[in-house]
Amino acid sequence: MSALLEVRDLRLQFGGVKAVDGLSFEVRTGEILAVIGPNGAGKTSAFNCISAFYLPTSGSVEFDGNRIVREVPGFWRRLGLTHLLQSFGFYRVLPSRVTKWGMARTFQNLRLFRELSVLDNVKTAMHANLREGFWSTLLHTPGYRRAEEACAREARGWLDFVGFAEDENLYVTQLPYGEQRRVEIARALATSPKLLLLDEPAAGLNFNEKQSLMELIRKIRDMGVAVVLIEHDMGLVMELAERIVVLNYGKEIADGTPEEIKNDPVVIEAYLGVDEDEGGATSTARADGGRS
Amino acid sequence: MAGRLDQALKHAPLRAPSPLFDRPRAPRGVFTSQTGFLRALGGLAVVLLLVLPFMDASRYTMSIATSALIYVMLCMGLNVVVGFAGLLDLGYIAFFAVGAYVSGIFTTVLGFPMWLSLIATICACIIAGIIIGAPTLRLRSDYLAIVTLGFGEIIRITANNLDITGGPSGIHGIPSWEFGGWSFDDGFSIGGIEFPGYVVFYYFVALVVVVVGVIGAGRLGKGKMGRAWKAVRDDEDAAEAMGINTYIAKISAYIIGAVWAGMAGQLMATHLSAISPNSFQFLYSALILMAVVLGGMGSTPGVIIGALFVSLAPELLRDFAEWRFLIFGVLLVVVMLFRPAGLWPATAVLPWLKRQKPQPPPFTSAVSAVDHGEPTVPPSVMESVDGLPATDAEEGRQP
Repeated sequence: MSALLEVRDLRLQFGGVKAVDGLSFEVRTGEILAVIGPNGAGKTSAFNCISAFYLPTSGSVEFDGNRIVREVPGFWRRLGLTHLLQSFGFYRVLPSRVTKWGMARTFQNLRLFRELSVLDNVKTAMHANLREGFWSTLLHTPGYRRAEEACAREARGWLDFVGFAEDENLYVTQLPYGEQRRVEIARALATSPKLLLLDEPAAGLNFNEKQSLMELIRKIRDMGVAVVLIEHDMGLVMELAERIVVLNYGKEIADGTPEEIKNDPVVIEAYLGVDEDEGGATSTARADGGRS
Repeated sequence: MAGRLDQALKHAPLRAPSPLFDRPRAPRGVFTSQTGFLRALGGLAVVLLLVLPFMDASRYTMSIATSALIYVMLCMGLNVVVGFAGLLDLGYIAFFAVGAYVSGIFTTVLGFPMWLSLIATICACIIAGIIIGAPTLRLRSDYLAIVTLGFGEIIRITANNLDITGGPSGIHGIPSWEFGGWSFDDGFSIGGIEFPGYVVFYYFVALVVVVVGVIGAGRLGKGKMGRAWKAVRDDEDAAEAMGINTYIAKISAYIIGAVWAGMAGQLMATHLSAISPNSFQFLYSALILMAVVLGGMGSTPGVIIGALFVSLAPELLRDFAEWRFLIFGVLLVVVMLFRPAGLWPATAVLPWLKRQKPQPPPFTSAVSAVDHGEPTVPPSVMESVDGLPATDAEEGRQP
């Protein structure tokens, strides 16, 4: 199995803060990878670099044969125009392009389109795959009608796939939280991805919703989509992930199967902290169920 | 059928499974569907407007009606920029000015025929849309508003100072539209009914352009690009993550808005046959923006109502003489107090179509069956697995 996503020595600095500090990992086709780490460990920053929302300070990200991190030529860099050029889309890859290559993502705090209906939210994600031009939209040609019909059918297929159980014409703000999560996953799937990045998909879900989420993620994996998820719920991660990458202070401290991670002393130390007196480590452990 | 539908989409590596059940077809009747009702309402309005000159073809009425139609055209264009794409544009009148001046210069100074000046207007507006759009791509809300405000003033002051635009006195004597030797000024008569030359023809031309403009903007708003615009308005980052190039989406919104305004400018230039920089003051940008907000951003019927209100209310209030602008202002405040989302918001549903209860789909998939079932394992089991507790917010950066 070849690597679908290859992250090498990724670094991201905000002023003096090293949000991501030398992260390297790969994702292979059709696997479920979890990225875990204490809050502020740089998980979401790393996600944002991979999906091209942030421009990393250095390092390389390669997805399905495409380089996501680009270099600004030295000439422009010396003139100090790096930021200006990149903010206008030169010498960088736009997140929309990464999505077209087949990487979809969800956001930590739900970011659905609030003034669009559920169906339109999912249709929006099919933007790049839709054959509709300016004139065909203005004139409502048969081709346009077919495209719209196919788009609606596909969107409904995804809504059914994620088990969305409400009226598709509702506005997303009218939905309960769990259903909004489903719509967000349906929307990400509608971009037709090879790799799906889920940023805390289980946050705020109850036990049953988490169970169905796990089932859904396995179903997605079975379609041949690689899934990378950031999650705080250890139960879910241990049960679902085939491989786990652990981050702390922007550095990767472990990479292995759930069994290996569970017994890794470095990971336990990062999560529990080190106490001066031996045996005190467990006293800092918390028994509440994480952020949910 | 499914095969033909598949070809309507580009090749994509991952396709959705077929929907699990067929949705009932949406009703199409005039009183049973929103679109049906709006179409009927629009048709009725067009018929009324077609009949209007036969009821009252006075110069005053025709002139007011034509300028109201031009306002509708302008507001439809601004609605694409502000209502659909969410780009606050305070200098929108600049595109109107570009349209009016380009058509004025091409027909008077350069002596081109009307249809050529029309093409030139569209081209100039596309270029103007790109010029204003490109530098503002990375700006949001307030900052964007200030830049567009500056652009609006630049165009007006440039027109005020250039020779080709006639300076402060503007351009006069813009010729009437001509078709093979017959000009709008000539007028004609059919079956004893005299069609006078002055304004009736511009009224009809404006009506046709506005009908096309309203339907066109509405259709663009519903298609792929319209969804992209609305996505950019609601959440730019999420839109980008959905594969929408937000640069292209914003630029295209500016271009569409500019072309619509340019058409309105061309109409006004030929209708009034004279233009001057005074017609393009900031006040008008604000007035058009007000019409869009007042009617309901992103809502076609709302924006039309807003445009008619803004253009006709000062005329209807003429009886109150110097009080009319005060009353106009008070009316605006009252409307915004009682309908903060606009007179006809984009999310409005006709009252008799409101469903009491949303219909859940008639299926329970494996996934949703788990979801709605009773918990089988108490949640506490999930809390920590083999000595690896879930993290907590405070535990993030412990030394």
